Amino acid sequence: MENQYAIEMLNITKRFPGIIANDNITLQLKKGEIHALLGENGAGKSTLMSVLFGLYQPEEGIIKKDGQVVKINDPNDANRLGIGMVHQHFKLVECFSVLDNIILGVEPNTAGFLQKAEARQKVLDLSEKYGLQVDPDAIIEDITVGMQQRTEILKMLYRENEILIFDEPTAVLTPQEIEELMQIMKGLAAEGKSILFISHKLNEIMEVADRCSVLRKGKYIGTVNIAETTKEELSRMMVGRDVEFVVAKEPAKPTDVVLNVEGMTVASKMHANNAVKNVSLQVRKGEIVCIAGIDGNGQTEFVYGISGLEPLKSGKIEFLGQDITKMPIRKRSVMGMSHIPEDRHKHGLVLDYSLENNLVLQRYFEPEFTNKAGFLKKANIRKYAERLIKEYDVRSGQGPITPARAMSGGNQQKAIIAREIDKDPKLLIAVQPTRGLDVGAIEFIHRQIVAHRDAGNAVLLVSLELEEVMSLSDRILVMYEGEIVGELDPKKTTVEELGLYMAGAKRQ
Amino acid sequence: MNEKKSLLRNDGFQTFVTSIICIILGLIVGWLALLIIEPSGAWGAIVAVIKNFFKYPSAPARLKYFGSTLAKTAPLIFCSLSVLFAYKVGLFNIGAAGQYCLGVALALYLAIVKQMPWFVCLVAGIVAGGVSGALCGLLKAYFNVNVVISGIMLNWISLYGTNLLLKPAMDPSGKDTFRLVNKAKQALLPTLGLDKLFSKNQYVTLAIPLAIVVAVIIWIVLDKTKIGYELKATGNNVNAAKYCGMKENRNIILTMVIAGGLAAMGGALYYLSDFEQWNVNASAVPGMGFNGIAAAFLGGLNPIGCLFSSYFITHITMGGGNVDLSHYCAQIADFISAVIIYLCGFVLFFKTVMNGWLKKSEEKKIARARAAAEEANKEGGNA
Amino acid sequence: MVLLLQYTLIFSSVLLLVALGGCVSEHSGVINLALEGIMVIGALGGALVMKFLPYTHGQSSAFVMFICVLCAAILAGVLYSVLLAFACINLKADQTIVGTALNMLGTALATVVVKSMNTAMNPDDHSSEIKYIDAKKAFLTNIGKFELNWFMIVAVIMLVIVFILLYKTKFGLRLRACGEHPQAAASVGISVFKMRWAGVLLSGLLGGLGGITYITAGVSTWKFENGVAGFGFLSLAVMIFGAWDPFRIAGAALLFGLFRALGNVYNGFAFLKALNIPSAVYNMLPYIVSLIVLAFTSKKSRAPKAEGIPYDKGMR
Repeated sequence: MENQYAIEMLNITKRFPGIIANDNITLQLKKGEIHALLGENGAGKSTLMSVLFGLYQPEEGIIKKDGQVVKINDPNDANRLGIGMVHQHFKLVECFSVLDNIILGVEPNTAGFLQKAEARQKVLDLSEKYGLQVDPDAIIEDITVGMQQRTEILKMLYRENEILIFDEPTAVLTPQEIEELMQIMKGLAAEGKSILFISHKLNEIMEVADRCSVLRKGKYIGTVNIAETTKEELSRMMVGRDVEFVVAKEPAKPTDVVLNVEGMTVASKMHANNAVKNVSLQVRKGEIVCIAGIDGNGQTEFVYGISGLEPLKSGKIEFLGQDITKMPIRKRSVMGMSHIPEDRHKHGLVLDYSLENNLVLQRYFEPEFTNKAGFLKKANIRKYAERLIKEYDVRSGQGPITPARAMSGGNQQKAIIAREIDKDPKLLIAVQPTRGLDVGAIEFIHRQIVAHRDAGNAVLLVSLELEEVMSLSDRILVMYEGEIVGELDPKKTTVEELGLYMAGAKRQ
Repeated sequence: MNEKKSLLRNDGFQTFVTSIICIILGLIVGWLALLIIEPSGAWGAIVAVIKNFFKYPSAPARLKYFGSTLAKTAPLIFCSLSVLFAYKVGLFNIGAAGQYCLGVALALYLAIVKQMPWFVCLVAGIVAGGVSGALCGLLKAYFNVNVVISGIMLNWISLYGTNLLLKPAMDPSGKDTFRLVNKAKQALLPTLGLDKLFSKNQYVTLAIPLAIVVAVIIWIVLDKTKIGYELKATGNNVNAAKYCGMKENRNIILTMVIAGGLAAMGGALYYLSDFEQWNVNASAVPGMGFNGIAAAFLGGLNPIGCLFSSYFITHITMGGGNVDLSHYCAQIADFISAVIIYLCGFVLFFKTVMNGWLKKSEEKKIARARAAAEEANKEGGNA
Repeated sequence: MVLLLQYTLIFSSVLLLVALGGCVSEHSGVINLALEGIMVIGALGGALVMKFLPYTHGQSSAFVMFICVLCAAILAGVLYSVLLAFACINLKADQTIVGTALNMLGTALATVVVKSMNTAMNPDDHSSEIKYIDAKKAFLTNIGKFELNWFMIVAVIMLVIVFILLYKTKFGLRLRACGEHPQAAASVGISVFKMRWAGVLLSGLLGGLGGITYITAGVSTWKFENGVAGFGFLSLAVMIFGAWDPFRIAGAALLFGLFRALGNVYNGFAFLKALNIPSAVYNMLPYIVSLIVLAFTSKKSRAPKAEGIPYDKGMR
């Protein structure tokens, strides 16, 4: 009987100093199937894929292709074996054309000179065959994310790869683009390609996959047929217990207006249009208002506008009844505005500073930490840092003097949250506060945010995670292409309805 | 045992060790170069470079030339502090050489042409350097001009500007400016009686203690104060600095003003001590600013370290003048210091190797301890 | 006027060659601040050949001489750039520190070599000069009053070659990918290390050529203590002004070359002479112009995105 598996990873173990990233994991991909790989952040999915691509060498275990044991030492070996991957962060050269990106590494040439005509024809044929519409001459930075993803898929098809890996492919897409992608994946499988679909989104797995393997904390939990399972069962396998998606909290009792935004417009750095268009909203004491939307619809710039990182083109911001439209960042912060930034490495931390110095980043100038002559009071900084570390359970190798760079992502995030919430702000702006964290940390952070609201403060939450939006917020505002297109009550709406607003298919 | 390990792991100690490694490797490369040029005298030449003033048999002569070495160290300390200060804020002040020129220009111009007292000359020099630094900072902050390139351009502009300004201060008998002793006694730096300590070396002046004091101040500012905290934060992550409300553009400009002022102060003090005169037809930017880069990195980017590294570099540069000129040339010392900075670029690599080695030896120790314990267990079982 | 044209063209050729070197290196992702030092070493290589290769003008083959000088300069530049490539690519050293060190080392090394050579030949000679009055004539051709330096033609040929190499070949596509997004290049099996080595060595080749061109521009002796007067950095300014694009760089080089040439020949123009501006001002001119130009062009930089960042396989 012919071997039914395209690729097999048998008993793979990969250790890093301190942790076992993959502990005896087995993954078998049948020819022509769509096989989902499910697991939370940090479950070991990306390590496993790096092993398959030869970026890491496993300590134990073997890889088989069509039943033959193979050795994969680098990505070139993987390419030769017909394994291709659409990475979560696309591997595209932004100032190159679509065609140049597709042929990069396998350029058709005579004596070193590029011969693009033939390649162009092949790309056009492929894009027609699989319904992947692209313009080969468009420059990557000018086209939509969906088109960039199609370029990535064409890259694999152009190389005639047989095993296609999609790493979290839907995170950046609109629901409609996701639907299209699902059709494309089914089409590819029907043509005999074997697909590995890495995701933590249960709905998508249920819709498209034939089988699903689940990882949890570096361990292999099991493989199930999708036709014979339910979402609830998959979810249990993924997190190890029944998940409660609802955060325990009292209904909101909003009172005075804390933040009042009128007609805010912010220019975009990426394109000629405005990123935020004439947005007005209010946030009151004692409520959590959430801005929902697909990544890149102006949420980032909106928050920059409120926190003062970007100037407004027009409009007005009032904070605690005072016009702060042109106020410097420091004054806003002192008045009682805290900002948990979207990108903790870009804005949130000075990575080469110690943890304690990062914890006083918003307060170092206060009399508690700096004397009148301008000298830092290091003893007070240490005491303060030790308190926050204890209260917020920030773990690190050397306590207050650990360099921020040496801390794990989750603990870096906790440090930022400790710093921003401990300021006891009247308004807490939290942008994707739980990105990349494990379940325990997410629960902890959600509890902190709710407690802050209950203490009579306002919270403005920006999140891309629908579960978080639905469970944490008291009021949802959906942002689409820089505009607020709808206001929803989380208790009265559904994820599906929210999705329609986020995709621009519906507006109020 | 534990203490020794923590010392080896201490970052400051590691920096010290890597600096020593750079120096030794640099000297070896220098010696090899001398061997290639003329093998017979190579050892003698490298010894002459290292010995510098120790070659004099009499103690007073040694003291006198030690004084001269110190007098030449002082401006280098200022230049290295200038480079270091900017580097802590994430800027590479290659313009130190030009700022140094401007310090010289204003100081000598006011001293010789305008007959001003020394402190006026000094302050004017510092201001000139500060303004040049500010220009560099402004271009960076508001026009995103690479500081290295603008620094180099300003170096050449400053050099020609200095030549232009000092034309009226030129001694007609040569190409150099007048000696201050002859034409502008009022502008000579006070010696504070230090000259007497160094066998009446009149070039040992206020500049030397001032350099040490300024180094300590820079160390305190960077390490202990609010402004140091802000500047370093800006240097490490300009976005985070902006996010928490620091004025990042002001910090960049302020840093360059201070860095420019420091380099210019070095130049002004050195020429006001009358040790050297400015050649108004100079066609090359003085090496002092570039050597400042070497001293800053060799000193492990620590202000106190800079005191020692500046001394070391001056010591070998002066020693370079003592090589047997019938075969070799004094620039061998420049060659050695250039090799040393090149090696300083590998500091990160050296440290990684060192830490990897420490870790391995530790693991081995643990493995050995475990093996010993098992052995003991076995024996215990047997008995 | 012819003189102005001649000087403009020769200085432009220098700037063009070196800026193209910087351009190739930066497209591969390495900022080459060591161009100044590479120029000095390239010039040294060429000057040594001119000094020692027997040549009598009118009798020996000018072409052979030219090729030997050219190859020596290229070889010297390439060998010297190995130091940069090794430190910045393999050891991931700070590109600014290493570049600066190599600039200082270039001048120091050239001075030590020339001085010890001069001293060895004549114990009283402690100068760092090399003379090549006769040898230089090998690659000069007079067309009327205009003195054509063959390196001007080399510069134009190099311009065309670099353009084709970067935009029409497989190599160029891969090289540019490494400067823009090395992780993407690595993911399709391109060796980022190899491409960056190639980029730096090519910039060594062009920098060396620029160096020899510079010391044959108008003078026939060179004092190596003086290095190359910031021309390596001027070339970087030309490259930035030229937006990392070979033909725009050529335009920028012409402009900067003109300002540099003015410093040499302003005496030939009655109206400039009448202005009675000190020569120091003319000397400053190219640097001032480049500062102003940089101020207006740096804000919207089209620099390769990954330049200056050491490539680490583990980083994704």
